[in-house]
Amino acid sequence: MRIRAGISSALASAAILLVGWQAGTHVSDSNASAVTTSSSTGTIGGSSAGSAGTGTTSDATTGTSSGSSSGTTTGSGSSSSSGTGASAKAGASAKAGGTYTGTSVETRFGTVQVQVTVKGGVITDVTALHLTDEEQRSVQISNRAAPLLRSEVLSAQSANVQTIGGATITSDAYLTSLQAALDAANF
Amino acid sequence: MFRTDMLTVALWVSLAAAFSLWLADGGFSTISNPTQAITAVGILAGLAGMDLVLLMLLLAARLPFVDGAVGHDRALEFHRKLGKPALYLLLVHGIFIAIGYGMAEGLNPVSEAIALWVLVPDMWLAFVAMALFIAVVVTSLVAVRRRFPYEFWYVIHLLTYVAVGTAIPHQFSVGGLFADGTWQRWYWLLLCIATGSALAWFRVAQPVMATFRHQLTVRRVVRVAPDVVSVEMSGLRLNELSGTGGRFFVWRFLAPGMWWQAHPYSLSAEPHVVPSVPGRHPRQEVLRITVRNLGKGSARLASLKPGTKVAIEGPYGVFSTAARSRKRIVMIGAGIGITPLRALLESTPFAPGQATVLLRGRNEEELFLNDEILELCRKRGVTLFHLIGPRSPLPGSEWLPASAAHTTLQDYAPDIADADVYICGPSAWAREVIAEAKGSGVREEQLHYERFDW
Repeated sequence: MRIRAGISSALASAAILLVGWQAGTHVSDSNASAVTTSSSTGTIGGSSAGSAGTGTTSDATTGTSSGSSSGTTTGSGSSSSSGTGASAKAGASAKAGGTYTGTSVETRFGTVQVQVTVKGGVITDVTALHLTDEEQRSVQISNRAAPLLRSEVLSAQSANVQTIGGATITSDAYLTSLQAALDAANF
Repeated sequence: MFRTDMLTVALWVSLAAAFSLWLADGGFSTISNPTQAITAVGILAGLAGMDLVLLMLLLAARLPFVDGAVGHDRALEFHRKLGKPALYLLLVHGIFIAIGYGMAEGLNPVSEAIALWVLVPDMWLAFVAMALFIAVVVTSLVAVRRRFPYEFWYVIHLLTYVAVGTAIPHQFSVGGLFADGTWQRWYWLLLCIATGSALAWFRVAQPVMATFRHQLTVRRVVRVAPDVVSVEMSGLRLNELSGTGGRFFVWRFLAPGMWWQAHPYSLSAEPHVVPSVPGRHPRQEVLRITVRNLGKGSARLASLKPGTKVAIEGPYGVFSTAARSRKRIVMIGAGIGITPLRALLESTPFAPGQATVLLRGRNEEELFLNDEILELCRKRGVTLFHLIGPRSPLPGSEWLPASAAHTTLQDYAPDIADADVYICGPSAWAREVIAEAKGSGVREEQLHYERFDW
């Protein structure tokens, strides 16, 4: 009796694991294809992001020079658009402080855009204007990552912090957008 | 047996399914460096740990299917066995996630754990759950439990529900695997809801309904031996209470200071009718339990006042006519374990000469309800043996008194291989009887055994 139960358990479990594994490889295949599509649309995302780009105090609405699409190599599918081009001009008055909006960064899980508040040369706050929210699932990943990233940034006083485990794509996009905002603030 | 096998398969399949959730999400393909491998171990341990916790709850949920297949006591025994593995898995989950996330962020595990606690919603609840799980398992370990009264252990055990409750939010809000819109979320949610509903129905709703339906009230308390009392209760529709099912209920006497304690006892007399005595009391339906003074809680039973309301859960157990598989029957009881045999002897069908009863006690006084059993045996034509005296020192016959050390079960019941065997007594003693019964050719489905110590 024990043997019968053991064998049936082993067979049934193996079957379920196999099905799961098969489904899993299917998922990662479709992820891989998602990466290629997102990279091809990357330039579109980049250009639109560029226009949304720089800060509220900045008048550099012309900062459309951004939009380098990356992300094909990492497999994360993030086509980040850095707002460096726009930020250069915005700078000088930033030392006094203010609120600066970073570029909006496209990822395969949705758009990420953050706003940074600088006062007297110190980053006092980072607000996420938009976080990865596609597939619903990303919402939770964002919810977990955002507070961690914010705290890391506030303590490091830069965008040069580690990404959050299990939320690498969101973190990368978050930090890219933040860097753009900091550049805009001439921080 | 088939149902037992089914349960075994279900258990392993549920574990495999938990892993499959992760595999189907492409979990395996996300591992490309040690950090991710550690995180993956953490996630898998969490999935398996929670799965075991849910299984433990189901095993203790008094599901008729489970209790019918393996028996309430064995279900609980298995429940206990899962406790430690579940805790270890949950600990691995917490530690590996802290290490894995920490490595990804360049933090040490402790800082990472603190960051998770402080910054991530629902994570502080998960930490509370972890602490509670540790507390529950540690207090449940036999060695530790002996140092505390049963009641203390019981209250701690109720914390399991709090522990599970506080562990659930982070699984759905932080765990990416169970994010909105995934089928994995639905599966997990269904598992949690099904377990919760089973507990709510079988452990709360049904007992409450039975309590209101049968309106049990303490009728009188009789001292049977210096440390043994019988509690007689009257109520309504008592013949419908247990039918051919188990004879074991969980009792809650609704008196000040006692109402929150639940005690598992078997019936020591079938529900019967006491005719009305004019001027004294009307016609009453009565049942009875007989309890040995094992702990503080059972000591207080002696002071129960007539008229005290009683809440019940049950019937549970395999000590029932429904479990019969043969015409012949052999009942073997020791100490207070004799009392449930008394009820079974009264009700279960057999022809004269087809039943044998063996009663074991260190002395005559330990053969509780002996007079009643003798009377029943005379009336129904049962062969009765008294096995009295200090324990035999011979290995393998320690269930017998020293004076009968060289006898075997077959000496008392020659036809035992073709009989249902009901065994009730302390677990060490019962193990030996079971071993000897099996040696005499009794098959698993003929053995009906109920532990008599919690």
